Amino acid sequence: MSAEPWITFVSDHLSELWIRTGEHLILTGFSTISALLIGVPLGILIFRNSWLRGPALGGVGILQTIPSLAMLVFLLALLQKIGVLPAVIALTLYALLPIVRNTFTGLTGVSPQVMEAAKGIGMTEGQQLRMVRLPLATPVIVAGIRTAAVVSVGIATLSAFIGAGGLGQFINRGLALYNTRLILLGAVPAAMLALLVDFAIGSFEWGLRPVRKQDKPGSARAIIRPVALMMPLLLIVIGLFAYFTQPSLGTRPASVSNGGTVTVATKNFTEQLILGELMAQVLEAKTDLNVIRRFNLGGSMICHGALMNGEIDLYAEYTGTGLTAILKAPVIADPEKAFYYVKAAYRKQYDAEWLRPFGFNNTYAITVRTQDAKQYGWHTISDLKEAAPGLKAGFTAEFAERPDGYPGLSKAYGFEFGGIRDLDPSLMYEAVSKGEVDVICAFATDGRIAAYRLTPLKDDLQFFPPYHAAPVVREAVLAEHPEVEQALSLLEGILDDQTMQQLNFEVDAKKRDAGRVASEFLKKKGVI
Amino acid sequence: MIQLRGVSKTFDGGTSYAVKDLSFQVEAGETVVLLGSSGCGKTTTLKMINRLVEPTHGHIEVGGEDVMNQDPALLRRRIGYVFQGIGLFPHMTIEQNVGLVPRLLGWSARKRGERVRELLRLVGLAPEDYADRFSEALSGGQQQRVGVARALAADPAYLLMDEPFGALDALTREALQQELLGLKKKLEKTIIFVTHDIFEALLLGDRIVILHQGNVQQIGTKKEILSAPATPFVRDLFGKPAKQLADFKDILK
Ligand SMILES: Nc1ncnc2c1ncn2[C@@H]1O[C@H](COP(=O)(O)OP(=O)(O)OP(=O)(O)O)[C@@H](O)[C@H]1O
Ligand SMILES: [Mg+2]
Repeated sequence: MSAEPWITFVSDHLSELWIRTGEHLILTGFSTISALLIGVPLGILIFRNSWLRGPALGGVGILQTIPSLAMLVFLLALLQKIGVLPAVIALTLYALLPIVRNTFTGLTGVSPQVMEAAKGIGMTEGQQLRMVRLPLATPVIVAGIRTAAVVSVGIATLSAFIGAGGLGQFINRGLALYNTRLILLGAVPAAMLALLVDFAIGSFEWGLRPVRKQDKPGSARAIIRPVALMMPLLLIVIGLFAYFTQPSLGTRPASVSNGGTVTVATKNFTEQLILGELMAQVLEAKTDLNVIRRFNLGGSMICHGALMNGEIDLYAEYTGTGLTAILKAPVIADPEKAFYYVKAAYRKQYDAEWLRPFGFNNTYAITVRTQDAKQYGWHTISDLKEAAPGLKAGFTAEFAERPDGYPGLSKAYGFEFGGIRDLDPSLMYEAVSKGEVDVICAFATDGRIAAYRLTPLKDDLQFFPPYHAAPVVREAVLAEHPEVEQALSLLEGILDDQTMQQLNFEVDAKKRDAGRVASEFLKKKGVI
Repeated sequence: MIQLRGVSKTFDGGTSYAVKDLSFQVEAGETVVLLGSSGCGKTTTLKMINRLVEPTHGHIEVGGEDVMNQDPALLRRRIGYVFQGIGLFPHMTIEQNVGLVPRLLGWSARKRGERVRELLRLVGLAPEDYADRFSEALSGGQQQRVGVARALAADPAYLLMDEPFGALDALTREALQQELLGLKKKLEKTIIFVTHDIFEALLLGDRIVILHQGNVQQIGTKKEILSAPATPFVRDLFGKPAKQLADFKDILK
């Protein structure tokens, strides 16, 4: 929608692209190297001890079937750390399978005749392995490393979810903001990087091949050979160079001590980015603290985990999420009660404080076309009762299944819709506006409700749990810097559902920068 | 001296024997040829001597000591072995292949280089042309000659040669047979030589062991075997070529 030409878009992001590429190379490079250091010896070990073979190959195989995100979250919980370390460990674990398997296959594949000769002329077991088996298996082993590295480039895009940076950060941000250009800015260089890594390790493999007669000193091949061998190293050096020449952008692990800094985090969708900017900018304007932004972390559990181990100091959470997802408590319908419940529980269990909410309630909203609402006089969900059998609903798969989604809703209100279609959240709004379905389960503050001329209906029976957003801050930070609470209190009740919708719309639909939208809003309200 | 006493080998738990109750002795400096049809246990016998295969029954001594009491790697370095399948190392040059056993024995690089060149010349491969090649760039016969050079490299007192000239044309073969005869006289090697070829056996063997289906048919000098074949198999074995030779002469006339 934005008219900014591609070329300026890319040149605006060039310096960040350089850093993210560097981070990506480092993630890939270090994980491949550690997988190599573990995988090749493991491959040798299982070659020599047949009883280890099944368990070890099975084990590294199972590692690969673990969904990447689940693995990242698990490591996060285990290490109590976000950032590069859990990402490198996760990537290493994924890279093990091709390396271990190819090492084993390569060692097994050496011709028995050659091995008999090695034994027969008097080589010890160790010499047979070192002087004959390993050199002959090398091309197969390197092929495994090559596969591992290329796959790593792909999976490394996911590390942005846990704040490890890399090109995934663009993809993440693009997904959060429905911004295709940002997605491409991450995805296209990542694909090119995969090709480059493949080429680099391919040349390395070529460089390793035995020196033939035709590459006598001075020949072209003899000169290219060392260059080819250096290619993978060169990529890592470029990565390190990019990483260390630009220290100020973004995701470097924040210092855990808070000598004058405060780290603000967000999850990875538009509203969170706006809330993050609002909090960060108020803190920048009203305190002397140095504000670090660690935005776009991959979900509630990751933000919560990072808050618990002090890697971030605050983020905006929703009461319903705190209640059901974090505390695993039953739904409380009354917004006030829900808020005080989470506040007390967080204090007791997590040494964290819920400050006063921003005002809006981003809960599920049964939403229809504004035109229909007017025509049929629908204001509340109960109003749909008579028409329901003739209406087609479009729900996300999750909403259609969860007991606190459609099944509970239809029980509470005592009606069912004529038909249900599973729809992706990104398609729902368009589908209802084009009349392909009549009812959807929107999020109350989604900018597209206004954009597509839709009307959310009032939940008159208070079936949906309240999802009021509020800043959640570590108690230690509040104790050390009371000015944080003062500054954030300026945001109390500042946003109602419509205003939040409007801000989301500015970023989602008009593709405007979340930071700019936030600062305009704060200025208009006279907060800064 | 190599001595076999009542050596048997079965690969299938006793249903069939690759080698059965084999006893013979090779004196120092003597060449014994193992002659027999395909699958009669010749390779198995050689492999038992350097412990690539363990005998099921019986005892084998090399240099007066039971091989089972010797360190296998050290034992094998004392015995030059030409493999039937050649088994050159494809990732090493010809020079590295031939110099391998001396390297395992810790020879200096210079001494190794000289030795390799000497041996390549001996087997009729010009070192300037062949030393830096890989085995893939050699013909089958050339590879076989490298295999022979590799077995000779560390100047071992014992040589086990499993059809070392099988892939060579008549002329090259003849040249190498003569080399081997010369070497034998000069260097006092104790050799066990496997072949299918009766003429080669008669030419090189001080004594000949004739095997058939795992059993020994006869052990003796060529004179003994030709004048008094011990079994019908032996008589046929030497009778056929004699007849062929007669036929060949007829054709020439
Ligand atoms: N590793 C093994 N496992 C099972 N059987 C084997 C093995 N090695 C050899 N044999 C069997 O033992 C018998 C003797 O084999 P050997 O290789 O000693 O024959 P050979 O006399 O060398 O034959 P050729 O002239 O064809 O090389 C054959 O029947 C063969 O199938
Ligand atoms: Mg054989």
